[in-house]
Amino acid sequence: MSPGFSDLIGDPLFQLNMVLWLAQPLPEAAPITPLFHERGFDVYAIAPLLPIPPDVLLAATDTHLAIQSGVRPDVVLVNLEESKYAFTECKKSAFGPASSTADQARSLLLLAGPRSHEILGLVPGQVSKALLEYMVPENAVQPLGLSLEVLQRDLRERSFPTGDYCVFGISLNENNLSLTVDQVGGTFFNIAPGQNPFMEREPDTDPRPLYFIPFDPDVEQSKDEKTLCKRILFERMHSAILAAVGHANPPCELTLQCHQILNDATFGMYEHWENKDSARNMRRLCRQFVGDLQKSVNSISTDAMTFRSPQGWQLSLPDQARHERVIEVLTRFCSESLELGLDPKPELFDDL
Amino acid sequence: MTEQDLRQIRGRHHLIRFFDGYAAERMEEIDERKLKRPLVKSHLLELLDRDRCGGHESLEAIFSRRQVNLTPLEDDLFLATDPQMGDIGFLERLRPRVVALYSTFKSEELIPWIHRLVMHSPEIDHVWLSGQTFSVLWDLVARLSRPQRFTKLVFTHESIFDIDDSSVSTAEENEMDFSRVSEDEDIEEIVERRATRFQLVDRIGVIVQKLQKLQDVYSPLYAISQLRFPSPVGRGGHDFYDNGRVTNRSESFLDHRNHLLFVVRIYEQLLKSTEDSAWYSIRESIGTPGQFRKIVGAPLVVKFREPLSAGVFDSLIQTTFQRKRNRLRLWGHPIRLGPTKVHVYGVDRHLWQPLFLEFTDKGCVAIVPDGTCGNTVHRLVTNIQRFLDPGAQAFVGGKPYRQMVEESARKVSYEPRIQ
Repeated sequence: MSPGFSDLIGDPLFQLNMVLWLAQPLPEAAPITPLFHERGFDVYAIAPLLPIPPDVLLAATDTHLAIQSGVRPDVVLVNLEESKYAFTECKKSAFGPASSTADQARSLLLLAGPRSHEILGLVPGQVSKALLEYMVPENAVQPLGLSLEVLQRDLRERSFPTGDYCVFGISLNENNLSLTVDQVGGTFFNIAPGQNPFMEREPDTDPRPLYFIPFDPDVEQSKDEKTLCKRILFERMHSAILAAVGHANPPCELTLQCHQILNDATFGMYEHWENKDSARNMRRLCRQFVGDLQKSVNSISTDAMTFRSPQGWQLSLPDQARHERVIEVLTRFCSESLELGLDPKPELFDDL
Repeated sequence: MTEQDLRQIRGRHHLIRFFDGYAAERMEEIDERKLKRPLVKSHLLELLDRDRCGGHESLEAIFSRRQVNLTPLEDDLFLATDPQMGDIGFLERLRPRVVALYSTFKSEELIPWIHRLVMHSPEIDHVWLSGQTFSVLWDLVARLSRPQRFTKLVFTHESIFDIDDSSVSTAEENEMDFSRVSEDEDIEEIVERRATRFQLVDRIGVIVQKLQKLQDVYSPLYAISQLRFPSPVGRGGHDFYDNGRVTNRSESFLDHRNHLLFVVRIYEQLLKSTEDSAWYSIRESIGTPGQFRKIVGAPLVVKFREPLSAGVFDSLIQTTFQRKRNRLRLWGHPIRLGPTKVHVYGVDRHLWQPLFLEFTDKGCVAIVPDGTCGNTVHRLVTNIQRFLDPGAQAFVGGKPYRQMVEESARKVSYEPRIQ
């Protein structure tokens, strides 16, 4: 089931979840050493949409500089005591200064500049330092560093207020996962430059941690990795549905709604998904999963679970016996047996 | 005590006076080694609500769903009646989230009845006192009582996952949990399996001196499953069990109830601090409402004292996630990530609350989503100590679980005569 582990360190969802774990409060006994949290850094925001100030946009237009008008770093870390902010972006590989990804990088460099407080909606004193932090596989550190150097120099030559950047490399060897920290990042985060192991590895074992964010339709993943993440999403939807059914008190009709299931499965991230196509895709996945679950439940009785628009799925629980039978069926159902590799097709109820 | 006796009791004052007299009679019978009637036993139960732990749905409604009729006697005090067994005893809401059932039924009747009630209701669970919680309560016992007083500690560890024959069903929770019944005075344990069970009765001063040294050389002694609070107003004391059962072996019911209140207040504080720390959710960043989301919360981390063998690890995963009535009461489909590592995005099968778990041979990490009752955490820690590793250390975020219990205990004053 698990894909090759060396590819894993380039997977954006793995990287994102790893950044989140590195910023969690954990004891020494934990399997992960939270390098960021130990230095006072917590998660400030996940994928916030940060608009570039209009005067900067105007200047970029005037100088024919390609930037994104609003940019969404994967995570913003904060050390509140020292008023430091790190805009963190996870990438599978390096990119060149002429690539389309460079537009995003220019905007991120502007975010981390002297106007970062303004972009975050804070007053000047609330941000003492800001930094753009890239998280990439170790073999991408050097080429990405060269690209960023070119981009930063270009911006500065045109008098744009850019910030500093660092490139952290994730590496995997037989014994551990490490974060290779450069001089700039080391000074900002107070982490020793060089390799910093943060997780011990066991032989033949997938090193991924539990995923906070199980799925993101917007990121590019290998087929195997996408399949596994889809399974994690389905498992989490399954647990949300089972919890709802387990709590029901018959006789009753239980309503299951797509947005509620998705919110429960993503710690409420779904309702903040601003990319409408992505949200639609998530709803399709939810319908795919619940549709399969419905077939199993309806083996008890053909009308045990029905779909009604716009309410959602109605689960009929007329008595205790039916309740127990439904729980029995739901607990035996396993998403591993589904066609996880297939993407669901557009449907009539996509927008519901 | 007959049903007629119970029905004559009209309120709390009457109840306490009645049980005080009943307790004194039993103590005299114990002195004469002729116990004619069962001792008073209290069962501490936690109430859970889907949307809010300890919600305000009436107790009558919650218990009537389990065919238990509650007749109100006074505010938060009821007579509990089972249609088959008759009047069981009195149910009192001690705190918003915790009720006590006082009964004089024999253990072999009462314990299975409580077990069935809890097993079939996602709204009711035992109050779970882990070995680490008992360890802090033991420190309180040592501070509260003179060193010459006698006390009793029981240590229970059953390595149910360390078995030669995987077909043996010790890892399943039976309809009637004999191991817990047998801890009482009435029945001798007859189940044979690899297990450690010590009963230690000695002067408090002696135990204070020796216990830590004994625990250092033999880790099952961390798994305290029963502790006697000596009564400060007379002989005997109050035996607290890890699943919230409390036997009154003192001559004062009032003192018994005071001890229940004391421990329940600590437990309630512990629940609150666990939930405040461990709930994971996406929330808006402070100062920027409506715009930024961040993850708040802290994971539960359990580290085993010694890594599990591959056989024990496999047995843990198979018996827990392939059996409906598993001891840890978890459900999920494990995602195998290596020989001794699995992820489970599952459910607490008793309370029906999502729970995300990483099990390895070295420990367990749990993500507890927002709204999950702290009870899930305490049951998991209790059962890991009891069935997997008695010396396991638990942390919520960076904070040791034991420290959380100590802080919860510090917030509660000991007031022996408060009602």
